[in-house]
Amino acid sequence: MAGEARAVNFRRNELESRSFLVVDDFGDMRSMVKNMLQSMGVQQIDLARNGVEAIRAIENPDNHYQVILCDYNLGPGKNGQQILEEVRHRELIGVGTVFVMITAENTFEMVMGAVEYEPDSYMTKPFTKDLLRSRLEKLIARKKDLEDVERAMTRRDFEGAIRLLDAKIGTRPRNLAQLNKLKGELALRAGDHERAEQVYREVLEGRDLPWARLGLGKVYYASGRYQEAQALFQQLLEQNPRLTAAYDWLARTQQALDALPAAQQTLEQAVSLSPKAILRQRALGELALKNDDLEVAERAFAEAVSLGRHSVYKTPRTYADLARIRVRTRGAKEARKVLQGLQREFPGDTEASLHAAMADSAIAMAQGDEATARARLAEARALYRGMGDDAGAELTLELARTCGALGETERAKELLQQAVRNNHAEEAFLREVGSALGDLGLGIDPEAFISDIRREIIRLNNEGVQLARAGRLDQAVGLFEEAVKRMPGNKVVNLNTARVLIMYMKRHGPDEENLRRVRELLARVKGLDPESQSLRKVHGMLRELLESAA
Amino acid sequence: MQFADILASLIHDMKNSLGMVINTLEELTGDAVDGDRSRARMVALQHEAKRLNSNLIELLTLYKIENDRISANIEQVNVDEFLEEVVLDNRAVAHSRDIELTWVCDPDLDGYFDEGLVRGVLNNLIGNGLRYTRRRLEVHGEQQGDYLVLSVQDDGDGFPEAMLEAQDHPAAAMDGGSGRTHLGIYFSRLVAGLHREGDRRGYIRLENGGSLGGGCFSLHLP
Repeated sequence: MAGEARAVNFRRNELESRSFLVVDDFGDMRSMVKNMLQSMGVQQIDLARNGVEAIRAIENPDNHYQVILCDYNLGPGKNGQQILEEVRHRELIGVGTVFVMITAENTFEMVMGAVEYEPDSYMTKPFTKDLLRSRLEKLIARKKDLEDVERAMTRRDFEGAIRLLDAKIGTRPRNLAQLNKLKGELALRAGDHERAEQVYREVLEGRDLPWARLGLGKVYYASGRYQEAQALFQQLLEQNPRLTAAYDWLARTQQALDALPAAQQTLEQAVSLSPKAILRQRALGELALKNDDLEVAERAFAEAVSLGRHSVYKTPRTYADLARIRVRTRGAKEARKVLQGLQREFPGDTEASLHAAMADSAIAMAQGDEATARARLAEARALYRGMGDDAGAELTLELARTCGALGETERAKELLQQAVRNNHAEEAFLREVGSALGDLGLGIDPEAFISDIRREIIRLNNEGVQLARAGRLDQAVGLFEEAVKRMPGNKVVNLNTARVLIMYMKRHGPDEENLRRVRELLARVKGLDPESQSLRKVHGMLRELLESAA
Repeated sequence: MQFADILASLIHDMKNSLGMVINTLEELTGDAVDGDRSRARMVALQHEAKRLNSNLIELLTLYKIENDRISANIEQVNVDEFLEEVVLDNRAVAHSRDIELTWVCDPDLDGYFDEGLVRGVLNNLIGNGLRYTRRRLEVHGEQQGDYLVLSVQDDGDGFPEAMLEAQDHPAAAMDGGSGRTHLGIYFSRLVAGLHREGDRRGYIRLENGGSLGGGCFSLHLP
């Protein structure tokens, strides 16, 4: 009977003052939920019928929704998961917003289909008003309890967030499991593998829980212990054959171990269990393409394109990849149809036009129309130059392949050199560069080619660091600025340049021009890798400099 | 399309309609004045609709188990909060039948189980309990040794002797006969069995007595 007393003790005001958005394609259901909320005293309730209306409402800066109740199945167009992905991915809602997914039946498949983002809670229809109220109150209370942690996360201050979590965990609260899960994820994101491993091992001592084992596997993967990771994911899947996230991680691990056919097989299993995840379909397509399995690649890219139509994860590259495969499997006409789709979905997007031009060049080449192929390549090169530093490494690689296919091997080699300079530390990417270089047929050893460039960068870096240590900051700045000019897309070089500039200002005092330059460099790194921990450290250095100067 | 798949998608559709019926009835009974004669009839309708709904969930889950499309998604769950939600979800119907539905649990008790599956079982047991109890229905959560025990207890006449005996012979429990749904027992046993830890497996138990002196249906989860 103790429960009886607690159940009626509702924290009314916590609910009444919140603003709600209800998303459902059935009018009856919308008004039903609205009535329930109104009877709880909620006043601010907006309604949306589909993804387009929902996103429009959430985008409007006047609406700061604190709670979103969204049905999973919304008919044609985006589904609930795609809305969640878009609003979280585009950061249209803060981490403080409660997102509840309403589903028609048990949620297992949906939970498994989610790759990147999970809602705060699932509710199965039908539910009573009492249940809805109780659930919302708990979710709002928990969000409130985690407010400080989430603020730290938004600043990407993961160490700070972990300290806050530790204080909460010390009180042994009811949602201990949730806190531990979050702590493990944060430690992983912060690159603190030791701490993450400790969190997961402690949980596993109490009980063999799949999420904790999955976490431990991620730790192994992140610290390069691929064999251990592979064994763990395989064992986890033996006991939980429906845990699709474990397939994703196993495939990733197998790729790191260069076991590409095995990785493809793993992802095929995951896709057959949960076909709706666009990121997974795309990963499968890319793997199959590397394995030259056109049939699987075509199917996966076609799925990714069709799933992507309503998703924030749609990318021009998927269309281009599909077009390049279609020209081989179904001919030029079908391939060009895919490119028309690309242009329709990304109007006025330079990167999309570049992808389209490169793929179209490949299509023309397959038809034996070399003149068109060259014309489209010239167009692609002009677009690439126009993008400047914004052109990502993938684009550089693809352009090199396209040049290579038309016999412009010297140009291709230069592009590959550029690609290595900008990404000298990304193993998986360098392997792709190596294979593209092999395809050029120049008789160059890819490993030597890559390691020569790497050595040059590492030598440059060391030289700069030594100059800085010796206090010859002027020279260090000059050397790094020279290096940045040659490899503008290289994270390490950009960050080191920012570092020596800050050190310089520490000695000579901050000045406008150098501050502007540091911010420019950091913004570029953020564009390349928003999660970079080194970037956060340099930001910290900059903050310190400004504080000590103030 | 296989017959079973058509069935599954039909069940899905039926559940959507039923959801609408149940929620509308909840609104209507909420609006109706106490003592209104039609109110009692609406309440009866609501109760039947809920039973139909939990039977459909059972069918759908059974279909998935049979087709190997499901495995227990074991998570750490605060049992007290979980039981609170289950009771809240059924309280309106219980109340309208003048039955006091409560739960008894240590607020700090944590359990490891698949929330969705166990919720389905408890909803079903409560639905049945409401038909056979007199005044009260209690949902208990407690740790007994290595097992988490969740039970639904009533102050009715208890299970007939034949059912108590049949529980140890799973095949016999599928025979028709007495009013309690045997499908429910079958379903509960399957769900309990999906919960494993090391060599231990979940099971169910039917007893008479319990804290209220009537029937006591318990789910033992490792």
